[in-house]
Amino acid sequence: MIRCEYHCPRALGEALGLKAAVPGARVIAGGTDLMVRLRSRELAPAALISLRRIPELAGVREEQGGARIGAATTFTDLLDDPVVARDYPVLARAAARVGSRQIRNAGTVGGNLANASPCADSALPLLALGARVRLERSGGSRELPLDDFFLGPGATALAEDEILTAVILPPPDIGARALFLKKGRVKMDLAVASVAVLLSMDGPVCRKVRVAAGSVGPVPLRLREVEALLEGAAPTPERTARAAEVAMRCVAPITDVRSTADYRRHIVGVYLRRALESLLGREAA
Amino acid sequence: MKREISFRVNGAEATAVAGGGDRLIDVLREGLGLTGTKEGCGEGECGACTVIVDGRAVNACLYPAAEIDGREVTTVEGLTGPDSTLGPIQRAFVECGAVQCGFCTPGMIMSTKALLDGNPDPSDEEVRDALLGNLCRCTGYVQIVEAVRRAAVAGRDR
Ligand SMILES: Cc1cc2nc3c(=O)[nH]c(=O)nc-3n(C[C@H](O)[C@H](O)[C@H](O)COP(=O)(O)OP(=O)(O)OC[C@H]3O[C@@H](n4cnc5c(N)ncnc54)[C@H](O)[C@@H]3O)c2cc1C
Ligand code: FES
Ligand code: FES
Repeated sequence: MIRCEYHCPRALGEALGLKAAVPGARVIAGGTDLMVRLRSRELAPAALISLRRIPELAGVREEQGGARIGAATTFTDLLDDPVVARDYPVLARAAARVGSRQIRNAGTVGGNLANASPCADSALPLLALGARVRLERSGGSRELPLDDFFLGPGATALAEDEILTAVILPPPDIGARALFLKKGRVKMDLAVASVAVLLSMDGPVCRKVRVAAGSVGPVPLRLREVEALLEGAAPTPERTARAAEVAMRCVAPITDVRSTADYRRHIVGVYLRRALESLLGREAA
Repeated sequence: MKREISFRVNGAEATAVAGGGDRLIDVLREGLGLTGTKEGCGEGECGACTVIVDGRAVNACLYPAAEIDGREVTTVEGLTGPDSTLGPIQRAFVECGAVQCGFCTPGMIMSTKALLDGNPDPSDEEVRDALLGNLCRCTGYVQIVEAVRRAAVAGRDR
């Protein structure tokens, strides 16, 4: 185990000050990803800055018709939150599928995103919902679409002196419904593949479609080609089948200990179609 | 790099010296001699190390020791009654044959405690969900779910 200072700041300003002042310091939220990597000596930060006691980073609140999720909000808090349950139920559904009760009690949304694993369960519904992330440093702050936050496996747009402070959700899209489907080898498992779909109809045609897929590329992916194929069109069974084919072509899965590239690709097609048909109130063929 | 922290374990005041990277499980087992809490995988998968911190079940192998400063920790040792008699959850596990080698048992019992504190009458599905992060290599889970159900009934009858 590494030896370093453990800081427990009580305010965001203090944490940002530490991040700027101590080169090589790393923030720690729930520690469910980080503690394993510290123990294996894969990482040896100069110091750890805990986000667990910073009130500004905890919990969900309504903001400008949408919601602001503090980066250090745990999955358990997300599951208990009435705003999430009412306006963004797909996020609660994904939170419920993260790890075990113990992992959800400690693991945070910000840690899940900052860790930038292609399988991050919260990333998929957040991409489908059009979430933005707020990155802050001492004396400055910026916001970007979540799509632009992920740069590669374990790599994000966060600069050395920045902390991810919040996830910003736009006002809920009235009439839109969304689904998250995750395939694991067993119920408690990282995703072999996962899909989130948001769909809003305008009479017989799709007004808005958002599709995201996990564990099938270097980062959690938005499948824009699939969205474009469906938007403005009637989602006939032929078209949803075509959408599944396009999705399977757009993704770039790898084979690893959890699964094969072929199987992951297959699951994306099946789950996309299943999600669409279910959102349309039809049986998947 | 290390500093003194103070907290409560099973209702009693405790202190330890902890730095970044130190884990709660080591403070409990090595520092305080509370060896009821087990370490299996050390990676959050098996749940043998489950303890309750401020009312929530967590993996002590992933919990930074320095973080418990000022917090309240409950381990399996804290569930026994006066004179070290077994508490109701512990008794239910014994009575239902939910213990074989016993290595997973402290973690199972702590997950059960956290579940029943928040939900005194869980469905079988809720029980299985609460214990998803607790692996048992011996019993096959049927007796464990049964034990949780019995503990729930015992808790409600009190
Ligand atoms: C047994 C087990 C099962 C798991 N199952 C799942 C699963 O089903 N689905 C899933 O998606 N994940 C799963 N995970 C992974 C992990 O629990 C999640 O990714 C979790 O959300 C990480 O959050 P954390 O707060 O614990 O992050 P930490 O471990 O505290 O941090 C993770 C990384 O993000 C950085 N970081 C954290 N917060 C911030 C911030 N606010 N700003 C900048 N950087 C930050 C840290 O420096 C670190 O590099 C599992 C992990 C384990 C051990
Ligand atoms: S030892 Fe902590 S989960 Fe296995
Ligand atoms: S009783 Fe042996 S691991 Fe559960």
